Amino acid sequence: MLRFIIRRLIVTVPMVLIVVSLTWGLIRLAPGNFYTSEKKLPPAVEKNLREKYGLDKPWYVQYAKMIGNVARLDFGNSLKYESESVNDILKRTLPVSATLGLLAYLLALIVGISAGTLAALKQNSRLDYASMALAMLGISLPNFVLGPILVLVFSLTLYWLPPARWGGFASWNLLLPAVTLSALYMAYIARLTRSGMLEVLRSDYIRTARAKGLKERDVVLRHAVRGGLLPVVSFTGPALAFLVTGTVVTERIFALPGLGNYFINANLNRDEPLIIGIVAFISIAILFFNLLVDIAYGFIDPRIRY
Amino acid sequence: MYNSGRSSRLRLFLVLMLTGVLLASSSCARVEQGNAEFFGKIDPPEGQVLRYISGSEPESLDPQIGTGQPEARIYMALFEGLAEYDPKTQRPIPAIAERWVIDEDNSEFVFQLRHDARWSNGEPITAHDFVYTLRRGLAPALAARSAYLAYEIKYAQGYNEGGAFVRDPRTGRFVTALEAAPDDETKGAAAATAGTNVPADPDALHEAELSKGGEDTAPDTPFHRFIHEPTRLIVPADGAAREKAAKANPKLAALIAGKEFVPVRAEDIGVEAVDDHTLRLTLAQPAPYFIGLIPHSFFRVVPRKAIEQHGALWTRPQNIVTSGPFKLQAHKPYNEVVVVRDPMYWDTARVKLEKISFYPFEEATTMLNLYKAGEVDAIYNHTVPASWIEKMRPMKDYMDAPENAIEYYMINVTKPPMNDRRVRRAFNMAIDKQAVSDYRKVTKPLTAFTPEGIFHGYPRPKGDDFNPEAAKKLLAEAGYKDAFGNYDPKKFPVKDVEINYNTTETNRQIAEFVQAQWKQNLGITVPLKNSEWKTFLNMRSKLEYKGFARAGWVGDYLDPFTFLALFSTISGDNGTGWFEPKYAAMLKEANSEPDAAKRYAMLGQAEAYLIDVQPLIPLVTNATNWMKKPYVKGLYPNPGTLHAWKYVYIEHDPAKWDRGVPDMTPNADE
Repeated sequence: MLRFIIRRLIVTVPMVLIVVSLTWGLIRLAPGNFYTSEKKLPPAVEKNLREKYGLDKPWYVQYAKMIGNVARLDFGNSLKYESESVNDILKRTLPVSATLGLLAYLLALIVGISAGTLAALKQNSRLDYASMALAMLGISLPNFVLGPILVLVFSLTLYWLPPARWGGFASWNLLLPAVTLSALYMAYIARLTRSGMLEVLRSDYIRTARAKGLKERDVVLRHAVRGGLLPVVSFTGPALAFLVTGTVVTERIFALPGLGNYFINANLNRDEPLIIGIVAFISIAILFFNLLVDIAYGFIDPRIRY
Repeated sequence: MYNSGRSSRLRLFLVLMLTGVLLASSSCARVEQGNAEFFGKIDPPEGQVLRYISGSEPESLDPQIGTGQPEARIYMALFEGLAEYDPKTQRPIPAIAERWVIDEDNSEFVFQLRHDARWSNGEPITAHDFVYTLRRGLAPALAARSAYLAYEIKYAQGYNEGGAFVRDPRTGRFVTALEAAPDDETKGAAAATAGTNVPADPDALHEAELSKGGEDTAPDTPFHRFIHEPTRLIVPADGAAREKAAKANPKLAALIAGKEFVPVRAEDIGVEAVDDHTLRLTLAQPAPYFIGLIPHSFFRVVPRKAIEQHGALWTRPQNIVTSGPFKLQAHKPYNEVVVVRDPMYWDTARVKLEKISFYPFEEATTMLNLYKAGEVDAIYNHTVPASWIEKMRPMKDYMDAPENAIEYYMINVTKPPMNDRRVRRAFNMAIDKQAVSDYRKVTKPLTAFTPEGIFHGYPRPKGDDFNPEAAKKLLAEAGYKDAFGNYDPKKFPVKDVEINYNTTETNRQIAEFVQAQWKQNLGITVPLKNSEWKTFLNMRSKLEYKGFARAGWVGDYLDPFTFLALFSTISGDNGTGWFEPKYAAMLKEANSEPDAAKRYAMLGQAEAYLIDVQPLIPLVTNATNWMKKPYVKGLYPNPGTLHAWKYVYIEHDPAKWDRGVPDMTPNADE
């Protein structure tokens, strides 16, 4: 097990290097620069800017500097917001995105797994149809449609919840974005749970458990759920990484100061250090959560041994 | 997975759900139309607090760094300059300068500063602070993107560009710019200045000049004598760049051979603190519009001590020292910038708001939701989407007024068929500008190049009217005709033209509309091509586009010159490849004219010439298009949506609320 983890951690390093190098190359290829705007700069001012940010150096010097920054996990200052370092931005925005993401994640897990399990146990009942229909809706309604509908109903018609803005870590402002964000995952988890559970409930070891005369509750909670959730686990690992590292659309609809908002603007602004910082961070997070999933598999699935 | 029976039940369920949602939304729309005087909740905040959506997240709180309008609005709360924008007309009104004197030919400005101006830490603001501010803003190391706005100041451009004066090592004499001017220009100029250029006693000239001024004219000083010496030649301080320039210009090469090069220093630019409360700005040439630039963010005074102590971090809330009516309380990026009334501000008794929260949001739907729910009191310009206009325009909190901004199509005149003036004119005449404007809903048609309804007293020329028949005739003249001499659209090389625009919904709609007009009126289907914003800018500035490219321009100040100057040089924001020295000379001559009315007439002639040559197709004059709650007073739809916050307040008495656009006549209700 330990050897497996170490091996995986070592592989992480070249992976992140490849990702940031590709990103860096793509930024180079994109026309324009962080200072390009409607009003063209006099050549001298442009030259001053290029010197100030080291853009006049040969590409390999700039590349080496970037790799050095990534290696030290200190990404330098943003080009657009020059008084801020990328690390400051990550430190400030991550808690916001993570809070929203975790809330959505928990919501998705709790509602999704319960709905999926119930649907599987009462297969072909009204409950099954209703929850699967809702799940279908959740999967097909994109969040930029769902968000405004929720706002329309709960903020602008009923005046129950604020329509947007960040209100702190424990405030009602988070509810609508969390629901918007979780809908897709909730629906996916419900469907995965349902099909996983259906498969397991028909398997031999469940029949054995029942034959031994175990109570239905014990059969479901101790044996079936453990096996039925395997597909859910492999889905939720990367899902968690995506959720907590910022979600562009939801953050923009609800005007939240999270990482996703910065990410989209950093790309439009050609803000190289910020893009590299966020990409490096997200790729590390995804690799890490994938590792967690693999470890979790070892505990849940007795067939897998490292 | 589902059998057919189940799936049809599922479908029924889905249909019912969606119908429910649609019904819910349409029913609330109906409720709104019942009380349509204002949009959404009208519930003034308690006390004097304003919540304003200001646009994208400010790049920086340093007024010399941020370049956009969203930043400018926040700077207007935190920093003050010599002058401020009038809340209604946007013309300069006294701020830290109580009054100023402009010399006869509009090339020297003397500002008298008020004695009670203070920083937020209580220290006095003096003329030396302004000298520091301008030298800092122009320093190459700061790389301020709006530095070019101060290039009118003598030697400012040379300093910002890293230039050097040219000195003869033997005599110590500096080479003047006149000596290096192209021969044809030198003759006239030399004749004009021959008498004054080499006076036996240089001081005599300045005494004569000084006697012309009134009481407010500042005394003569050694610096003043230096800055009024004949303008020195400036060449690049960098050796390689200088050699390149010399190679291209043999006259210059001869002039600088064997000379030494003295870098232009911050101390050389035409900014002088005559005493603690007198500031003198000397320009390189007459610029009557320059006073209109003085309230611009770049000229707002910044604190030397805080900047020298904290470097780039001086704008952090714990370090910042400000000069405006409000001071910074908190800055939470992408969330809010909170400013509160500054008791140290010289006019603090007049400031009514206790606090302003600026929300940096850009999503139109989000901000209108917040506005409707009564969570914000006003929003910035261009925020009501076209699809909402019909519903919003009748509301009494909708702010509509012409803007100091235009939209047009640039034409790449360097490539055929658009290098033919007749073709350019024909394409212009084949667009019904009124129809474009009606389609855009919030704009006014534009036939000339300067915006309509902004510059009072300016004789704005009228461009060609909509006339498809004349357009076809012009195209036939240009050679696109059949054997009988009639216009034939098939002969036109459609593959050599395109309508280029950057990807936004509005730009695409306009491009499609113009495309349809040309198809209908000329029988030519010009292809559309869209690109991402920065890709588009790159292509446009390098003239890598065929035919037409979308362009917009927001005036930097209230003078037609801010638009006309675009074509006074081949580089910069010209974008068309069209340049004629004749046009540049017309502008220069107009700016040398001391009489304002005559100058406007001359600028009008230059504009008429420009639209006659037609390197562009004017489309529309923009409108401000924003909203404010009726209880927000002192906030006016001025031409740049730039609000002097110290005049803004919350009115709690519904009888005094604004119903419709407030009275915009100057000094009407103060």
